[in-house]
Amino acid sequence: MPQGDYIDLHRKRYGYRLDHFERKRKKEAREVHKRSQIAQKALGIKGKMFAKKRYAEKAQMKKTLAMHEESSTRRKVDDDVSKGAVPAYLLDRENTTRAKVLSNTIKQKRKEKAGKWEVPLPKVRPVAEDEMFKVLRTGKRKTKQWKRMITKATFVGPAFTRKPPKYERFIRPSGLRFTKAHVTHPELKCTFNLDIIGVKKNPNGQMYTSLGVMTRGTIIEVNVSELGLVTPAGKVVWGKYAQVTNNPENDGCINAVLLV
Amino acid sequence: MVQYNFKNITVVPNGKDFIDIILSRTQRQTPTVVHKGYAISRLRQFYMRKVKYTQTNYYDKLSTIIDEFPRLDDIHPFYGDLLHVLYNKDHYKLALGQINTARNLISKIAKDYVRLLKYGDSLYRCKCLKVAALGRMCTVIKRVAPSLAYLEQIRQHMARLPSIDPNTRTVLICGYPNVGKSSFINKITRADVDVQPYAFTTKSLFVGHTDYKYLRYQVIDTPGILDRPFEDRNIIEMCSITALAHLRAAVLFFLDISGSCGYTIAQQAALFHSIKSLFMNKPLTIVCNKTDLQPLESLSEEDMKLVMEMKAEAMKTVVGQGGEPTDDQGVLLTMSTLTEDGVIAVKNAACERLLDQRVEIKMKSKKINDCLNRFHVAIPKPRDQKERPPCIPQAVLEAKAKQAAEKEKRKTEKDLENENGGAGVYSASLKKNYILANDEWKEDVLPEILDGHNVYDFIDPDILQRLEELEQEEGLRQAEEVDDDFEMDGKELTPEEQQALAEIRKKKSLLIQQHRIKKSTAESRPIVPRKFDKDKQFTTRRMGRQLSALGLDPSKAIDRARSRSRGRKRERSPANDGGDAMDMDVDTPNKRLRMRSRSRSRSVSRPPGELVPGEGFRDSAQKVKAQKLAKKSSKKRNKDARRGEADRVIPTLKPKHLFSGKRSSGKTDRR
Repeated sequence: MPQGDYIDLHRKRYGYRLDHFERKRKKEAREVHKRSQIAQKALGIKGKMFAKKRYAEKAQMKKTLAMHEESSTRRKVDDDVSKGAVPAYLLDRENTTRAKVLSNTIKQKRKEKAGKWEVPLPKVRPVAEDEMFKVLRTGKRKTKQWKRMITKATFVGPAFTRKPPKYERFIRPSGLRFTKAHVTHPELKCTFNLDIIGVKKNPNGQMYTSLGVMTRGTIIEVNVSELGLVTPAGKVVWGKYAQVTNNPENDGCINAVLLV
Repeated sequence: MVQYNFKNITVVPNGKDFIDIILSRTQRQTPTVVHKGYAISRLRQFYMRKVKYTQTNYYDKLSTIIDEFPRLDDIHPFYGDLLHVLYNKDHYKLALGQINTARNLISKIAKDYVRLLKYGDSLYRCKCLKVAALGRMCTVIKRVAPSLAYLEQIRQHMARLPSIDPNTRTVLICGYPNVGKSSFINKITRADVDVQPYAFTTKSLFVGHTDYKYLRYQVIDTPGILDRPFEDRNIIEMCSITALAHLRAAVLFFLDISGSCGYTIAQQAALFHSIKSLFMNKPLTIVCNKTDLQPLESLSEEDMKLVMEMKAEAMKTVVGQGGEPTDDQGVLLTMSTLTEDGVIAVKNAACERLLDQRVEIKMKSKKINDCLNRFHVAIPKPRDQKERPPCIPQAVLEAKAKQAAEKEKRKTEKDLENENGGAGVYSASLKKNYILANDEWKEDVLPEILDGHNVYDFIDPDILQRLEELEQEEGLRQAEEVDDDFEMDGKELTPEEQQALAEIRKKKSLLIQQHRIKKSTAESRPIVPRKFDKDKQFTTRRMGRQLSALGLDPSKAIDRARSRSRGRKRERSPANDGGDAMDMDVDTPNKRLRMRSRSRSRSVSRPPGELVPGEGFRDSAQKVKAQKLAKKSSKKRNKDARRGEADRVIPTLKPKHLFSGKRSSGKTDRR
């Protein structure tokens, strides 16, 4: 049984085959033809995947070639005007900047009063009732149709207990209940897995808000203690609003963007 | 892992390839066709199957990886330590732990998404869920890709580790670099270790096997150790330290007394004393190598003192094994691997001491006691004081004495073999007892071909005599043949017989020629059955000719043949007809004749627009219109968009569906 670096040892002792380098060179030269043959003959999903990969490679190659071929030409230099730069005849003047300083809290209070918020998804496709609810037939002869099952993702709080089954009208299946959301911070550009505290507003209607249904565009409140945000006063922020950006029933998870 | 063979671990694919393999397998092995109109349970089942299949595959492959890589705590401590030294136990465990976590995560993902799929109410929703599930599983593998790459590298290295059995008889060789350890192992075993003049040529453990007293011994060659504090040692030295620490073996400490390795005896002695704790309970032998450059006796005083100190240390181990304190025959040995002087003696000494130690231990262990209890040598109780020595006949005694003398006189081949290294090392010279004309020819190599002839054909002492005999036989046989030939032609034939013979021969040759022609063209030409008689060979005329040639009257035969042939028109006479057709109408012959003689007159048709009362048209104009409409509706559409027959417009010169796409078989030369 060969042990250790037996391949290198054999090469050291006996050298290479007499035609080794020629064969290697020829094999590498043939690779080009082989690859082109595969590209022409591969059918179906394999062909598509190969074509996609090859296209990306070619695009990259073109870019590097163009970069190498850049010739040195004289180009006009556009210097950006720096902020606050004044022309020469205005130097030596003291400019006073008058700006209204308003604290963040006052701004927020005003917005709340107005009831208008700036959100990433201002408009959302309306969801029809028959899409949202599935009719359940109940009763001995299965003729009663007053129960509805919600087919979208929902949130129920931790203290949730069902109404007695005989009287509950809207059924929220436990398989479609979510407690966590993947929340992206728009400035930091990173995503955290945060707990949901509650559903604030569903754009499709106030009934859905009260049921806790989360569709695309819903505003939810998430627990941001993980992020370690602090108010100017020194208090720790632990709840913030976020807007749902995907269709949770199609993806199996809730993706949201934090509203800062 | 009992065999400690790490070559059987399956290859660990890298992250991207892993994902490709599993996804393409899912695509091939699960049904692919699904339509919107299927029942919802069928749609759900279709997608759930894909998710579960992918999860199962990932689980299986990751499980094989986790199971096949050895657990450092479960294997022999020698291997555990060796793998720790080479690959860092923590890294290794972390990598395997990550693979385990990935496996669990994938199982969880699959479970969640299968649960969600139960609520899918449309094809689109189920499909999105399946895509999300598969995507998440592949992301888990992508995150774990560096661990997979690391495990693959480890696997490749582990496969090239020597397979050392930690429990069998082992001889360990250690010492400074360049003292001659690898040369020694090359001499006594078949291991082909690289020997070079620079230090640290051997960078890992090598194992070779040798035989002594019908038992197999492992000989382990280690990389050289330098005299350094324990923490400063590098990985290569740690390999040797691990082997020394964990293997119960006979240790051969090599000493280069000529100093040509670049280190003085003082340095080597210092190393010895720093690692002497590792020699506890092991039969230790100090081997002084390279005596061809510097014999042991001509060492300086200080060096001799150092060597004697080392010997004293080594003696302690002998005492520890229950040997005599003054028995120093196996403790300090000299040899030279270049001149092969003393190499076998060193090996024998080390093997002997190891064997003794192992036997001792076995005797002292509990297991042997169980066996010993079962042995009992029964000695009969003496019933009186009479002496009864064993009775050996005189002849046997004499024979024994003679045999002993003979044995002493003659040196057997076995003795020769034992002297020169044992069964595996010494090969007897079979040619030394040849009886040849000239004794110098004994060691010559016998050629196989000489002057174009096979030498073996001529190896026979009586060859010349046999050649003569053969030639005589040949001569006799040739004479006989000549006689036979004349006999054949000597028979006289009468002229008629000769003529007949000539004719027969001519006919025979003709037939043969015909058959040959037929045979040669039979492959290229389909053979027509005889009944169709393409060549018109089998005509009655020919038959008549042949029969008359034979001297017979052919006319009757011809008549019979002709009357029997099919398809001949017969002139029917009414009398014949009446006799043959019994159930036919009597009128029919007349009818036929009538029909033949009368010429047909054409049936009269109506003009095209003529009004027929039963058809429901108001007037003939309406009928004509209706006919026109019918014709128009069944007219061929001008799909070619041609204005007329002469218009040769081609709307699209290169329709895409004809000029693009790949072919599943064949080339796309023609479009």
